[in-house]
Amino acid sequence: MTDSENIFQLKDLRRTYIVGSEKVHALDGIDLTITNREFIAVIGTSGSGKSTLMNMLGFMDSPTSGQMEFEDKDVTGIDGSGRARLRANRIGFVFQSFNLLPRLNVLDNVLLPLSYSTKKFNNHHDLGLEALERVGMTHRASHTPNQLSGGERQRVAIARSLINNPRLILADEPTGNLDSKNRGRIMELFASLMSEGITLALVTHDDAVADYAQRKIRMEDGRIIEDSKS
Amino acid sequence: MNPVGDIVTGINNGMREIWANKVRSVLSMSGIILGVAALVSMVGIVQGMLSTMRESFEQSGGVLKLEVHPKDAPESQQHIAGISPSMTWRDYIAIKKAIPLAKYTTPIVDMRWSRFVAQGRREGAMIDGVTPEHNNIETREIEYGRFIADIDIRQKSPVIVIGTHLRDELFPELQSAVGQKMRMQGQVYTIVGQFVEEQSLPGQKRRWNIENRKNYMPATTAMSRFQGDDKVNEIHIIAYQREDLPDLINQIENTLTRTHRGINDFEIRTQEDQLAELKKLENSFIYSLGGIAGISLIVGGIGIMNVMLASVSERIREIGVRKAIGARSYDIFIQFLFESIVTSVLGGIVGLAVSVGLLSIAQNLIPEGQAISIFPISAMFYGFLFSSTIGFISGIYPAMRAARLDPIDALRYE
Repeated sequence: MTDSENIFQLKDLRRTYIVGSEKVHALDGIDLTITNREFIAVIGTSGSGKSTLMNMLGFMDSPTSGQMEFEDKDVTGIDGSGRARLRANRIGFVFQSFNLLPRLNVLDNVLLPLSYSTKKFNNHHDLGLEALERVGMTHRASHTPNQLSGGERQRVAIARSLINNPRLILADEPTGNLDSKNRGRIMELFASLMSEGITLALVTHDDAVADYAQRKIRMEDGRIIEDSKS
Repeated sequence: MNPVGDIVTGINNGMREIWANKVRSVLSMSGIILGVAALVSMVGIVQGMLSTMRESFEQSGGVLKLEVHPKDAPESQQHIAGISPSMTWRDYIAIKKAIPLAKYTTPIVDMRWSRFVAQGRREGAMIDGVTPEHNNIETREIEYGRFIADIDIRQKSPVIVIGTHLRDELFPELQSAVGQKMRMQGQVYTIVGQFVEEQSLPGQKRRWNIENRKNYMPATTAMSRFQGDDKVNEIHIIAYQREDLPDLINQIENTLTRTHRGINDFEIRTQEDQLAELKKLENSFIYSLGGIAGISLIVGGIGIMNVMLASVSERIREIGVRKAIGARSYDIFIQFLFESIVTSVLGGIVGLAVSVGLLSIAQNLIPEGQAISIFPISAMFYGFLFSSTIGFISGIYPAMRAARLDPIDALRYE
């Protein structure tokens, strides 16, 4: 099966939370298409809805209304375990605070998604080392996360997001906890992975980080107010 | 979905988690360890002691045995009670001749405590006058010589079958006292048989074992030489089968009512009461001890649940991460459930090992302890099953809490 050109197509997507007696429109009518091999930065202040959008794209949340197509299939009303399946097989996550499991060593952290994936992988160990090599962390395979620096941890987290060959990698402020030197290195790593053919969407409020992306989406009050390609 | 793979992964992850938190895991296991050890060793000890009691009950004739004892005539017959000859040799003969349902019959002429003298040594011991069939009722093995024979009964022979106690006291230098003579109340008796020594406990003086202190002579000899009449103290009868007992009792009653001229001065005792008593004892032991051990297992289960709940709230972020990278609620549920099960199963295994130790100590310390099995299989099986079930049950609620966590909230949790 060849991958379709469209990864995501969102039509008038809305997500409403009820906080106390008030309705909060976290997403207020989003129309967005994400195609293969794009590098997207979602920019916005806090409360602009960018995290909610990322949760939608990562199948962590479901929309209140609107339509959502993933790889040309309607996934609007998909249930919890169906969303989990899509996360396991099609999506990779990179978090601001790395979120490696402290008790597992680096290699086991990288391999963790495979235990939830329904795709068949042979020789996990080699796959893990391969993923670590792509982020330049092979030499740390048997260390625990606590023995690594912040930049190294994020590299391991990126290797973890790559392990199941995801269609889309979502990164939520991936450089938020890093110093400027490491920030640059991580972004360069993303850029080089882009050239290997991954599709990446990252959330940031840092314009310097956003400048690495080819496409910038600016959000405000749950709406896209700017969508520019460079 | 692959259930076998899920289980293997579950066990692996559970083991890893337990290993990563050794102290906490051992503490949470300790309730299960103590519960299983208590359950298995208590049931094992009780089973051992009861089987000893059962064995000695079976050896003395078991449930098929009836005993006829004399008793006072009822109030209404008191004024004519004198016309009954009371229990005599004739009753024994009547039962033996008239009642084919009686498999073996023997009179007991109880001579109580008698003093025996041989080679300048003296010793007191119990002696009963009986017939040859006595040894079919209380089955004791003869090691040397023979038991009392029919000819001894006919000839009223001055012969004695002894237990090892008399040999030890009167002929300490001999292995077999058969052929030796000894005196009792001024008359000389020949020892014609000697029972196998009943095993005693390690550390216990073997002379304390009452079985080895029993001695027998022909009932006819006892009656003619000591009593001067044909009265007997008891008659023991063994039935062929349990279903015969009601008829047998009826027939004995009819026969003895005739020989006692209508006076109801005897009673027939069955072993059913004793058996029921034994069963009651068994049940009360098992229920009370099992109850105590069961409660300690439940307490152990509560301990595991407590630790699991703490572990879930400690690992909320981990749960969020796992869900984000593709774990379904079911996967998380299975993971935590297996942690709980693995904890309790390990606790159960350690508990079984502890119980083996306790049982082998008990085997050496408790009187009649040699009947205690170090591996009471059924108790171990149930103990293990129970502890695993407890682990399963106490894991469900914490695992459900973990599985229900929303990944977005869990990832935000600090």
